[in-house]
Amino acid sequence: MEFLLDKKMSNKNYIIIIATVFLSMSIFSCKHHGDEYHSITDKIEAESKNYHGTSISSEAYLGDEKMIEVTVGEETFLIPERKSQIKSYACTECHSKPLNELQSTQGIKKAHWDITLNHADQNTMNCITCHNEKEIDNLTSLTGTTIDFNKSYQLCAQCHTKQADDWEGGAHGKRIGGWAPPRASMTCVNCHNPHKPHFESKWPARFNTQKIKERK
Amino acid sequence: MGGIGKYFKLNLNSTTKQKSSNGCGCGSTSGGCNSNTKEVVAVTSSSCGCGNPSGGCNSGASKEELNEKEFFKAAVDASIGDERTKDGFDQVFDVKMDRRSAFKKLTASLLIGAGAVSSCTSVIAGDDTKEKAQIDWEEQFKGNYKLMSDDEKTGTVDRLVRSYQLRTGKTISMSSKNAEEDVLFGYAFNISKCRGYMDCVTACVEENNQDRNSQMQYIRIHEMKDGKGFNFNEADDNYYHEVPAEGHFYMGTQCFHCDNPPCVDVCPVQATWREDDGLVVIDYDWCVGCRYCMAACPYDGRRFNWSKPTVPEEEVNKNQHYLGNRMRKKGVMEKCTFCVQRSRVGKNPACVEACPTGARIFGNLLDPDSTIRWVLENKKVFRLKEDLGTEPKFWYFMD
Repeated sequence: MEFLLDKKMSNKNYIIIIATVFLSMSIFSCKHHGDEYHSITDKIEAESKNYHGTSISSEAYLGDEKMIEVTVGEETFLIPERKSQIKSYACTECHSKPLNELQSTQGIKKAHWDITLNHADQNTMNCITCHNEKEIDNLTSLTGTTIDFNKSYQLCAQCHTKQADDWEGGAHGKRIGGWAPPRASMTCVNCHNPHKPHFESKWPARFNTQKIKERK
Repeated sequence: MGGIGKYFKLNLNSTTKQKSSNGCGCGSTSGGCNSNTKEVVAVTSSSCGCGNPSGGCNSGASKEELNEKEFFKAAVDASIGDERTKDGFDQVFDVKMDRRSAFKKLTASLLIGAGAVSSCTSVIAGDDTKEKAQIDWEEQFKGNYKLMSDDEKTGTVDRLVRSYQLRTGKTISMSSKNAEEDVLFGYAFNISKCRGYMDCVTACVEENNQDRNSQMQYIRIHEMKDGKGFNFNEADDNYYHEVPAEGHFYMGTQCFHCDNPPCVDVCPVQATWREDDGLVVIDYDWCVGCRYCMAACPYDGRRFNWSKPTVPEEEVNKNQHYLGNRMRKKGVMEKCTFCVQRSRVGKNPACVEACPTGARIFGNLLDPDSTIRWVLENKKVFRLKEDLGTEPKFWYFMD
């Protein structure tokens, strides 16, 4: 622009100068204030490159519940311990004799009378799909290997592979404590009754009577 | 016109011209309206020196000292005057007023204000009253929270806690915790999982001290017909029957904490802004209640307090944050803050914690190992009205 200034200012030069000034102003003013990302995904990607972790922890909110650490695929996280929550564990405390002997014994109070299996259908599942008479303190996989009651998700994951993948990543299964690390998630049996895994329908927690009035 | 001369009157539709029945020049450009003399003199002669700012008070004889009785009379005269006989709408609009008396009234109200200040520093008033007045005074003239230093933030929070203690005798805890570095909050909602139980709504209302009278709720759960997609026109957000209903699915909306929030842009007083951790928050003490933000929000994320919010004392959540669930007042906006009082200390928002199906996922978008990041990277996520460019940090997905 200096060569313009050197020359004698004609009207034309004025116009050019003004035009240049406006152009440069418009170029600089077009820049967004503060936010230099095109979209939130760009921002997340860029800003998480230098992620160093935070001081926030949700460990304090886990409560008194006993947790165990599990590694599923690539993820390691906490799930509630199960065995201490089962009322009559260990099973061998009663199951000391073969099943048919227990069944025939008169005068002994019936156990498990309230359990009805409402999970898949009779062709697919019955008691011994998961429980093994000879290995009663543990669960049994479809191929007969032993699965610990604390890791019952391995049993569910045999059929519910999609849910298991989502659970591993964190899309399925509610978080315990808070959002911050360490991650603690509910395991399958914390929400689903294994013998009757579906959620019941119920009435909503509230009804807004004021909304009805306002919308009349 | 009821025989009363009107200087200014809201009279948009009437074909009748305003008559000045008392012969006083409308608008009184001369500044010397006879009909007003009585009032003018009364005010000026009793409320000291008020003529000065108006420029031409001929009563001139202004007393410098007032005894209490005179002061009270002057204050009442100046503040309500002959409006004592009018009520409602007329008090404001049906008022004789020329420039001179307007100035006088202003001066008189300033005097009243000054009186209030002196009473708060007076030796006669009780300690509590004095402290209350002192707190009110400091709260009245505090700045915008967004611009406060950390010390000022602590200061205002302490004042609010003390003020609540003086007024109700109850002690609350209020935080002014700032956004943590390397945190950007995000939310994901699983449409396949939501069953419309509305436990989230109840938890939200209780956590955030929302007005019980108007049954305000930040979250809306929409019951939508299968096969119709997201059709908000046909959706029902206030159902009451056993859920989930046959042939319906459920999805929730609330404040999406947009990264490019239109509500923030339109606020004329900058009472709402986006914090560094992505939360869009409101300074309830700075909000003027114009509701521009409510109109600008494309998601119905904001709520207005048409009346003084009431929460039964025993139901008040005493764990509060200045930008979150502290008690609001009449005439200000409020909205979901992702439970700032919980999320900034690592807890999940109340809705996430209350959801019995695990349909709600919350976390730090900047943490590559967080569950919210896993959802964004592995599920087919989408947002509402993405084409508006508001960049909500609230994603929906399905199993």
